Amino acid sequence: MNMTLTVFVNDQPVTIYRGMQVKHALIALNESLYQAAVAGELQIEDRHGFQVDLEGALQEGSRIFTKAKPEE
Amino acid sequence: MKRACKSALLLVLLLLLVPPQVAGLPATRLTVLHVNDFHGHLLPDFNKTIDGISPVGGAARLARMVADERAKNPDGVLLLSAGDMFQGTPISNVFHGRSVMDFMNYLKFDAMALGNHEFDWGTDILRQLAAAASFPFLAANLQDLHGEELPPIKSHILLERKGIKLAVIGITTPDTAFTTQPRNVAGLIFQQPAAILPPLVQELRASGADLIAVLSHSGLDADLAIAAEVSGIDLIIGGHSHTVVTEPLCVNRTIIVQAGSNGAYLGVLELEIDPSTHKIVDFSRKNELKPVLSAPADPVEEKAAAIVARFNKQIKAAFARTVGETAVDLIRNPGTESNVGNLLADAFREASGADLALLNGGSIRTDIRKGKITLEQVYTLLPFDNQIVTMDLSGAQIRQILEQNASSTHKKLQVSGLTVRYDLTQPAGRQAVEIQVGGQPLEDVRTYRMATNDFLAAGGDAYTTFKAGANLVYGDLVRDVFSAYLERKSPVRPQIENRIEITKP
Repeated sequence: MNMTLTVFVNDQPVTIYRGMQVKHALIALNESLYQAAVAGELQIEDRHGFQVDLEGALQEGSRIFTKAKPEE
Repeated sequence: MKRACKSALLLVLLLLLVPPQVAGLPATRLTVLHVNDFHGHLLPDFNKTIDGISPVGGAARLARMVADERAKNPDGVLLLSAGDMFQGTPISNVFHGRSVMDFMNYLKFDAMALGNHEFDWGTDILRQLAAAASFPFLAANLQDLHGEELPPIKSHILLERKGIKLAVIGITTPDTAFTTQPRNVAGLIFQQPAAILPPLVQELRASGADLIAVLSHSGLDADLAIAAEVSGIDLIIGGHSHTVVTEPLCVNRTIIVQAGSNGAYLGVLELEIDPSTHKIVDFSRKNELKPVLSAPADPVEEKAAAIVARFNKQIKAAFARTVGETAVDLIRNPGTESNVGNLLADAFREASGADLALLNGGSIRTDIRKGKITLEQVYTLLPFDNQIVTMDLSGAQIRQILEQNASSTHKKLQVSGLTVRYDLTQPAGRQAVEIQVGGQPLEDVRTYRMATNDFLAAGGDAYTTFKAGANLVYGDLVRDVFSAYLERKSPVRPQIENRIEITKP
């Protein structure tokens, strides 16, 4: 079994170790995305437009997108 | 997906036109309440909000919402969990999940799938939790080396509500085998769901189950694949990807739901069932997830609140517990070696059995004065839920990391099992002028076992070389490793040992 996964953050491929989560994919692509998500400035959505959180699990080919958090 | 859902909708409409009305019987209404990835969130989260005002989650509010749903459909409610209920907050972790277990028993859950984090404290704790539960823990794809179930964990349970027989099968992610500390899953086999589900679904149908539900701790993408591959599943109640599935998905007539994470939502899936065929003819397509909002005016269930309060009171005592003692002040130093960095890196290395350990200075968040060290201080020192990971790196890769560290604006990596001399008068890329591992010069072609945390392993602080490791193994939470180290080694007296020397221009 492959030890790494390729997932896509904002359509950019990112390689992470199997078992890593949404937060790791953001860190791997661009740590500022992770920091913005932690600060609540961004929310993360999957390919269906459903929100996921930073501890969400990923699998090979998962696609996530960072979105500016809507004004409340 | 859209086509499948439309087909299902058409079928539903056709069915709605025929059996119940012909028979003159109203549809039977069942309510499937579901949560997943609760991760010990017994207390409301005051840092998160869904409506922009209220704190989110909390067991007392969740319990009230469950009670309200039960009142709406007496005898027709099931309460299910798709796993990862225990690990994640001090009020649960300190008690190894017993606080959440008491809450779940009080709430009379009907079943729970095992999540990967149910293995975080080892199989002994898992068995204790399962034995304490008033409902079954389910994992049909979990076996021991002899192909047997792991008592008291079961593959499935048969439930009956209003004359409808519902089989609930548990599935845990096969990734558990390698995303968990190896000693916690030793002797366990996690099979692929698609391999074990078809015969089990068939067997349960043959034994009289009207409906088949899979409690799946696999992630939404995996659940979609299961629904596409395995026929005969009516519902997949998912977890693991922490997905807020606001509107149920539908693949090949299988309804798929998931309720986010951390108790922020209660899934309320209403099923309309033909009383003569016992088939689902309709289900709640909108607003299936109910936000668990915990503003002061939101009513709570007082007995659940009392359970939480009881453990919350104990947590204060648990946090005040002394886990160790230091004979010297533990002081950070962002620019170079620190004694607290040495202590932590030593704990990493010992716990993992690695040749060396590297950790980011930014992960160490406070100093600790000489004297007793409480559990609360450990949490303040290490507030992030980082996990130890161990991997193979070549000497050349280690050199590359240290060269990057020499010129990095980030705090210096803290080290154990390794010494490095940085000469910042040299050009970038040639500043780590002397590196030794275990007292011997670093060999570029040799493979070393290196321990770090998951933040650096993901490439945090721009250290991309960590992402190129081999044979990665996940370990325990850094906090737990450090607490255990202090308990064994106290009093500790870490010193500056010239593990890092810097010649400045």
